[in-house]
Amino acid sequence: MNDMRMTERARLMQDIKISARDVNVYYGATRAINDVSIDIRDKTVTAFIGPSGCGKSTFLRCFNRMNDTIESARVTGTIELDGRDIHAPDLDPVQLRARVGMVFQKPNPFPKSIYDNVAYGPKIHGLAASKADLDDIVERALRRAALWDESKDRLTASGTSLSGGQQQRLCIARAIATEPEVLLMDEPASALDPIATAQIEELIDELKENYCVVIVTHSMQQAARVSQRTAFFHLGDLVEYGDTGQIFTNPKNERTESYITGRIG
Amino acid sequence: MSDTPHTAPRGRIDWADPALSERLRLRKRRQFWLKALGLGAVGVAALMLFVLIASLVVTGYQAFRQTHATIEVNIDPFQVDPANIRGGNFDDIIETAILAYFPDVEAPGEQREIVRILSDGAEFQLRDRVLDNPELIGERVSITVPLSDPYDLLNKGLIDRTTPEENRRLKDDQIARFDTLAEAGIISQPLNTALITNADSRFPELAGLKGALVGSFYALATCFLLAFPVGIGAAIYLEEFAPKNRLSDLIEININNLAAVPSVVFGLLALAVFIGWFGLPRSAPFVGGMTLALMTLPTIIIATRAALKAVPGSIREAALGVGASRQQVVFQHVLPLAMPGILTGTIIGLAQALGETAPLLLIGMNAFITSAPETPFDSATALPTQIFIWADSPERGFVSRTSAAILVLLTFLVTMNALAIFLRSRFERRW
Ligand SMILES: Nc1ncnc2c1ncn2[C@@H]1O[C@H](COP(=O)(O)OP(=O)(O)O)[C@@H](O)[C@H]1O
Ligand SMILES: [Mg+2]
Repeated sequence: MNDMRMTERARLMQDIKISARDVNVYYGATRAINDVSIDIRDKTVTAFIGPSGCGKSTFLRCFNRMNDTIESARVTGTIELDGRDIHAPDLDPVQLRARVGMVFQKPNPFPKSIYDNVAYGPKIHGLAASKADLDDIVERALRRAALWDESKDRLTASGTSLSGGQQQRLCIARAIATEPEVLLMDEPASALDPIATAQIEELIDELKENYCVVIVTHSMQQAARVSQRTAFFHLGDLVEYGDTGQIFTNPKNERTESYITGRIG
Repeated sequence: MSDTPHTAPRGRIDWADPALSERLRLRKRRQFWLKALGLGAVGVAALMLFVLIASLVVTGYQAFRQTHATIEVNIDPFQVDPANIRGGNFDDIIETAILAYFPDVEAPGEQREIVRILSDGAEFQLRDRVLDNPELIGERVSITVPLSDPYDLLNKGLIDRTTPEENRRLKDDQIARFDTLAEAGIISQPLNTALITNADSRFPELAGLKGALVGSFYALATCFLLAFPVGIGAAIYLEEFAPKNRLSDLIEININNLAAVPSVVFGLLALAVFIGWFGLPRSAPFVGGMTLALMTLPTIIIATRAALKAVPGSIREAALGVGASRQQVVFQHVLPLAMPGILTGTIIGLAQALGETAPLLLIGMNAFITSAPETPFDSATALPTQIFIWADSPERGFVSRTSAAILVLLTFLVTMNALAIFLRSRFERRW
C-alpha cells in the first residue's frame, strides 16, 4: 500500500507518462528483453540507444502493443500509461494506438493522397465531426509536422510522390493527427539524407512541447542532439538510464562507457 | 602482424596467363551454347504456335463466308394466310421461285434436286421475314438464302470439278445446275453472320455458335460469381487471419493440390453431386459454371494469397500503427492494393475455365440443341463442347466451321489474357 503510494507520488512529481515494470519479451523461446523497468517522462524526448539487435525496437513496440501483431512475440510484465495498465482486458489495442502514435524506420505513407494519409486515423477513430473539421485536423497535423507549406497546394497528390524526408514528415503528421500523447519513433531518420535528418530532428525538438517522445536511434550524436533522457540497452538488458548529458559525459556503467567510446559496436 | 602468411597478398592475376584465357574462352563458349539453346527453344515454341494458328486459319477462314442465292419470291396470299402466317406454305413459294430459273425441267425427281441446292433453312428464313413484316403478303420480294453445304463447298472451290465424277460429291448434272444459277448472277458469298447469330443445326450452312456463346457466357458468369467471392474470402482468411498450425498447413497443401487435379475428376464430382444428389438439370450452363467454379477456386485462392503476400508489411504496420483493426487493415489497405493481382489471377483462371471441355462433357453440355438458352438453367452447349460436337460431325461443312469456332474461342482467350497483362502492367507498383 505504502509502496504504491510512493510510486504514485514519484509519477506525479516527475510527470511520468509511461512506466514499465519487469517487462520481458519473448520471440518463441528466445528472450529479447530481460526484466526491463523504466519510467518515461512526459514532454521529454527519451532516446533508446544500443548496438544493433539489442532489443530497442522490440521494447519500443511494447508501448503501443505492436508486438501483439507478431505471432511469435509474447510480452510479460506491466506497462502503465498515465497509471493505467495497457494490457488491461478492457483496453483495446486499437484505441491505445490512437493515443500512442508510431513512426517507423522506413517512411511508409499509404499509397493514397497526402490528405487521406493524414485523415485516415481521425476517420477510423471518429474524431472529425464534419468535413470542415477533418480539413482542420489535417491542416493542423501537417503544420505541426512542418509539411504544410510544401503540401498545401497538392493535398490530392499521392503520399508516395513526396521525397523521402517529406514522406517521413507525412508519417509524423499521420501519427499526430489522432492527437496522441506519446509518439514512438523507431530510427525515424536512418533512411534519410543529412538535410532531411536535420529537419526531422528540429521537428522532434518542437514536438516535445506537447508530446512524450520516445526515439530509437543508432546514432549517438542524434541521441545527444535531440534527447533529454537516454536509455542504453545491451543484449536485451536496460543497462543504464539517465539524463542524456550524464550518460554521454559520465556514464556510471562500464558497458555504457564501452559503447559510448566505441568499444561495443 | 600484417606479414603473417594469412594476410599477405597472394600475387595478382596475370592477364597474359594462357590458362586464364583458356578458362575465359570456355566460359564464353558455354554462354554461347546456353543462349543458342534458349533461342532454339523459343524458336520451336513460336513455330508450333505459328503452325497451329496457320492451319486453323487455312481451314477455318472459309467458314466466315457462306454462299447465298438471291431469289425473287412471290408471297401469294393463297399460300400464306395473314391470320396464320406460321402455317404458310413457304416451302412451295421457295420451290416455285428457284424452279423459275429452270423452266425446262419437268421431272419431279429433278425438281427436287434443284430445290436441294438451297438450304433447308430457306423456308424458315422467309417465314421469319414475313412474320416480322406481314405487309409483305401479296408482294414480290427478293430474299437471300444460304445454299446447302455441298453447293457452298463447290462455290468455295472445296469440291474439285476435275476429279472423276464417281469420286465427286456433286455429279456433273448437279454442277451444271449450279452453274446455271451462277450465270443468272444470283450467287453471292457474303460474310457468314449466321456463324454468330444462329444456334447449332444439323445443317452446316445453318449452324452457328450463338447457343455455345450464350452457354459459355452463363457458365463463366456463374463460375465468376461463385469462385471470385469464395476464393477471395478463403484466401483472406488463410493469409490474414488463420492461425499458422497443422490444420491450416493441411488446408494449404490440399488447396495447392486441388489446382493440379485433372478437370475430368471435377466433372465426375459435379455429375455425382450436383446432378445426382441435388437433382439439378443436365446440360445446364449453371451446373457447368458450378463445376468450373470448383476448378477455378484453387487458382483464385492461390493468386489472391500471392497478391496479398506481395503487399509490403510496412503498409500493414502503418495502418496498425494509427490504430486500424486487423479487419480495417485488410479491407482498407491490403485488399485494394492486392486487387490488380487478384483480378489478373481471376481472369487467367476464367480463361482456363472457358477452354475447359472434359467436365462439361460429363455433365452433358454436349447435347444437340438448336436454340440458344434463355436462362442459365436451360440446356446449352459451351464453346469448347460445341467444337467437340462439330469436330465429331460427318458433314464436310463442319470441318471449316470447327476451325472457325476454335478461332473464335482463341480470340476470347487471347483477349482475356491481354486484359490480364494490361491490368498487371497498368497497376504494377513499386514500393
Ligand atoms: N519478429 C521477430 N521474430 C523473432 N525474433 C525477432 C523479431 N524481431 C526481432 N527479433 C529478435 O529480437 C532481438 C532484438 O531485435 P530488435 O528489437 O529489432 O533490435 P534493435 O531494434 O535494437 O536492433 C534480435 O535478436 C532480433 O533478432
Ligand atoms: Mg530496430
